[in-house]
Amino acid sequence: MLEIRDIVCGYGGVTALRGISLQVKAGQLVALIGANGAGKSTTLRAISGLVPLRSGQMLFDGKDMTAARPPRVLASGIAHCPEGRRVFPHMTVEENLDMGAYLRSDPSGIAADRDRIFTEFPRLAERRRQAAGTLSGGEQQMLAIGRALMSRPRLIMFDEPSLGLAPNIVERTFAIIRGIRDAGTTVLLVEQNAFAALEMCDQAYLIESGRIVLSGVGAELIANEHVRKAYLGG
Amino acid sequence: MSEFLQHLINMLVLGGTYALLGIGLTLIFGIMNVVNFTHGVLYTFGAYIMFIVVQQLGLNFFLALPVAVVAGWLLGAVIELTLLRPLRGSDIDTTMLVMIGAWIAMQSATLWIWGGVAKSVATPFPEAPLVLGPVSVSWLRLFVLAAAALLIVVTYLLINRTKLGCAMRATFQDQDTASLMGVNVDLIYTSTFAIGSSLAAAAGALLGPVYVIFPQMGDLAAVKAFAIVILGGLGNITGAVIGGFILALAEELGAGYISSGYRDAMGFLIIIAVLIFKPTGLFARSERVG
Repeated sequence: MLEIRDIVCGYGGVTALRGISLQVKAGQLVALIGANGAGKSTTLRAISGLVPLRSGQMLFDGKDMTAARPPRVLASGIAHCPEGRRVFPHMTVEENLDMGAYLRSDPSGIAADRDRIFTEFPRLAERRRQAAGTLSGGEQQMLAIGRALMSRPRLIMFDEPSLGLAPNIVERTFAIIRGIRDAGTTVLLVEQNAFAALEMCDQAYLIESGRIVLSGVGAELIANEHVRKAYLGG
Repeated sequence: MSEFLQHLINMLVLGGTYALLGIGLTLIFGIMNVVNFTHGVLYTFGAYIMFIVVQQLGLNFFLALPVAVVAGWLLGAVIELTLLRPLRGSDIDTTMLVMIGAWIAMQSATLWIWGGVAKSVATPFPEAPLVLGPVSVSWLRLFVLAAAALLIVVTYLLINRTKLGCAMRATFQDQDTASLMGVNVDLIYTSTFAIGSSLAAAAGALLGPVYVIFPQMGDLAAVKAFAIVILGGLGNITGAVIGGFILALAEELGAGYISSGYRDAMGFLIIIAVLIFKPTGLFARSERVG
């Protein structure tokens, strides 16, 4: 479904990705794990078009998306739920969800999707007219996920969804992400909590210093000596 | 008492156009972070559009106002596309210098095209003012107030109730995330600058016929716009409206009860007082657009 080949990119003089290649197959939950600063977030930002590529190629459903800017990437069916949730703090919960549907032009479909999200997350429904910046971290994460779903993506990318959340909310967030995959949407998950990510994924990639150093199904990586030592604490 | 009432009426008329100037600048300066020295020139430009349409082309006075709004929008879009877009991401000093250059160039162009002699615009309103008990107000000024009020309401609805307004607010709260939602951020920058400019042009088109039109008329208007924006808090639309009326009230009362020579000093006094006592502006941060 998504294929990137030899992607190189960076910020100013710093090269963040030194040739990343990976594949995401339709219906899978693919995890991208690695240490802080290894290039996980940059990979997602490169796929979304937020960071321009210096070289490499990106194909989505066989179509070349190499130089696509974020609106075109989203329009092709890839949503990006960014690190740190990044809800629009001075806009209401409802407006945040509507921003997720910015490129859609079917008001009744948008309203139906919004109601579905409110049914799934009743806390958001209670706070629909409240500024998103006043929500708790967990509620903001639910809003960020809901907002990403509002574009009806075929592939949804999560960047560190567990970051800074209470353990029970982390559990809930992972359950929601598995639910999204089970409902048929392909997922690319970037996560520092390597064990949780490897356990729930179908396929995983390990990134170190801007390069993919290992890939395989989740269980293989969990069993791998290097992964155990460096990322799973023994 | 009747003198005070008269000042209040005058304050409403002046305050409406000041609010337009303030909203326009709070969008550009408060939200886009462009220290916009061309705001006053856009005000002058709006007034000259009025002069061209009414005096030189001999067309309808009421047609001239929408023409000025559209022309201000277009000129704003051109300034953003040619000067600001290439400078996106460069530091604020560079942008400020370029905008000062644009201000001087455009003001000189105005002088070159129309000369330095003040122009006036004939209006279709009766000479005799409307007398309401102890106070009187000219029909032209009433029209100015009504048109300004209409434009303020339209702008408020545009920013708070439309998809474009939603995208504008999202962009200025978090540009990267807005672009992940599919927003064409470049287009939002151009639109915002164009909308702010069209409001400045509208203010000039409304006040031009009340006073006279000359190339430097915008300089003082720009300073007042900055005073209003600082008073209301950067990026705060409601604050800009209230700030516009407060400045107008201060000018009216200052001119009426202190000395008419101090009228234009009121804006500067307000800037100084606000910066000393409440540098974030008089109104809450939560009201900010971006």
